[in-house]
Amino acid sequence: MLKMTHLSKVYRTEVVETYALRDFNIDVKEGEFVAVTGPSGSGKTTFLTIAGLLETFTGGHYHLDGIEVSQLNDNARSKIRNEKIGFIFQAFNLIPDLNVYDNVEVPLRYRGMKGAERKQRIMDALERVGLASRAKHYPAELSGGQQQRVAIARALAGSPRLLLADEPTGNLDTQMARGVMELLEEIHREGATIVMVTHDPELASRAQRNVHIIDGQVVDLSEEPRFHAHNARVADA
Amino acid sequence: MQIKPILAALKRHKAGTVLIALQIALTLAIVCNALFIIQQRVSKLVRPTGVAESEVLTVQNSWVGADDATAASRTKTDLLALRGMPGVRDASFSNSYPLRGGGMSLGVKTDPDVKKPITGATIYYSDDHSIDALGAKLIAGRNFLPQEIRWVGSNEFDAPAQVIISKALAHKVYPDGSALGKPIYLALGETGGKPSTVVGIVERLQVPWSGNWASNFVEYSVLVPYQSTGAFGSYIIRAKPGQLDALTKAVPALLFKTNRMRVIPAERGVRTFAQVRDEAYKSDRGMAILMGVVCAVLLAITAAGIVGLTSFWVGQRRKQIGVRRALGATKHDILSYFLTENLLIGAGGVIVGAALAIGMNLWLVSHFEMERLSLLYVVVGVVALLLLGQGAVLAPAMKASRVPPVEATRSV
Repeated sequence: MLKMTHLSKVYRTEVVETYALRDFNIDVKEGEFVAVTGPSGSGKTTFLTIAGLLETFTGGHYHLDGIEVSQLNDNARSKIRNEKIGFIFQAFNLIPDLNVYDNVEVPLRYRGMKGAERKQRIMDALERVGLASRAKHYPAELSGGQQQRVAIARALAGSPRLLLADEPTGNLDTQMARGVMELLEEIHREGATIVMVTHDPELASRAQRNVHIIDGQVVDLSEEPRFHAHNARVADA
Repeated sequence: MQIKPILAALKRHKAGTVLIALQIALTLAIVCNALFIIQQRVSKLVRPTGVAESEVLTVQNSWVGADDATAASRTKTDLLALRGMPGVRDASFSNSYPLRGGGMSLGVKTDPDVKKPITGATIYYSDDHSIDALGAKLIAGRNFLPQEIRWVGSNEFDAPAQVIISKALAHKVYPDGSALGKPIYLALGETGGKPSTVVGIVERLQVPWSGNWASNFVEYSVLVPYQSTGAFGSYIIRAKPGQLDALTKAVPALLFKTNRMRVIPAERGVRTFAQVRDEAYKSDRGMAILMGVVCAVLLAITAAGIVGLTSFWVGQRRKQIGVRRALGATKHDILSYFLTENLLIGAGGVIVGAALAIGMNLWLVSHFEMERLSLLYVVVGVVALLLLGQGAVLAPAMKASRVPPVEATRSV
């Protein structure tokens, strides 16, 4: 589903090159729930933005659902983001001027979907997250947990192949975080592929697999020791 | 199209939206009316007078210490001298001429027994040289004969036996057929009077006044075969081709050489017809320029307002734009979002503006002798304002479309 090989991301200034990701390798299979952890500045968010085609990368290869994305133009990347990826952001990123219904509708409109189908999908997604009754509310009228549920509904409504979550519970209290996490687990059980960036070890432990990033490189904690050894060799090299 | 969500978002930004829409509305209302006024003034500025304008020189003359007989004698001497000047094609003497600013007008009737004239018309004292001196074009009938010219006192007006009238006046008084050979009655409201036979018709001859009040009879002129024995009058001198500039200096010199007992005002005393036109329409031209400047300033302010508000909104919604990009919006989607948003605000503005434009015009019509605004101006104004809005919003909208999708992951 998501495969990056020898991928690198370099930020260049006139005097210095900074590697955010270096010889980065990861392979997420369809239906997996992968938690990506790592200390601040390790490259977690850079990985997620590249995985979500929000940013380009400098070198290496990235296959998403079988498509090599490095040569795609901006429009093609937008189309893939719209059709194959669902985003869940730490800050929810709902559009404050739109009500819940209209927020969930945003990616469906960009897909050019017909009104009747949009409506069906929006209501299904809102029911899925338990917020159908709040369709006419504005984000500011909802709690943090409810806003994140709306964001999840927005991500789900387009039936994406991959869900990318960036610290989805980072802005929530414990109780709300638990509710959101349970929802993600439920979605995963139904067959969704989820990649979740978090620095919370407890949340990470609930994922199927943990990938640890340090200094822009992957350390897969849950795979065979030989993988670590291999990765370490690559890192050393 | 994204109209519904854009409208929903605009509802949450009522103040900015309403202010810009109102600005567009007021601009449309003022610009439509201003352009209409400009068009009216410009059409006046270029209206032909019927005079050979590039060849005519006018000289305002006042005799000093002359009774009627002396004045008439001196004027005749002047005319002989002028007609004999090298470079002069012809010369005549009159109480007034087109665009002079002052003159005489009388009612014109075809039935002596009705009190109300058909129209007002200006009276030009003329002789058998006047048509040629003015450069007017006789299109029917004949010119005055030398024996028909009478010298009359400045305060006495008796209807002449013959008149030459302008084509516009001929159509006005005899709409169903030619006025040639038919009688008209020149009077000030009273009944009766002597008939004047139309012996000739000139193609066009404008009245001396350029104000709006004269617009109803702007080409209604009557040439009467009279020469005034009064102290005041104007010489109309038609130059041969290329001689006008030389005559501007030579004519007053000749006149003073002929007789020094005269006053030719230092200002506006000797004027080419180009200067006459220039001065007659000075206020119209000034008004057209003023209105043009007002329009340009208003349009610039409106465009600046749109650029300012949209730039502010783009800055304010940078993260939101990133989120939309992350959710699948293309650059074109973002560009079209802001263009559509502006079009919707603009549409609201021009609907109110069109109503305001018509209302403002009706008020001007009832208070300032304005004509009714042609709807074409409103339509053109609406299209222009909408295009202006789209043009103004383009730069900030393109800036918005360049916001990268990764902006969605950045904390504010």
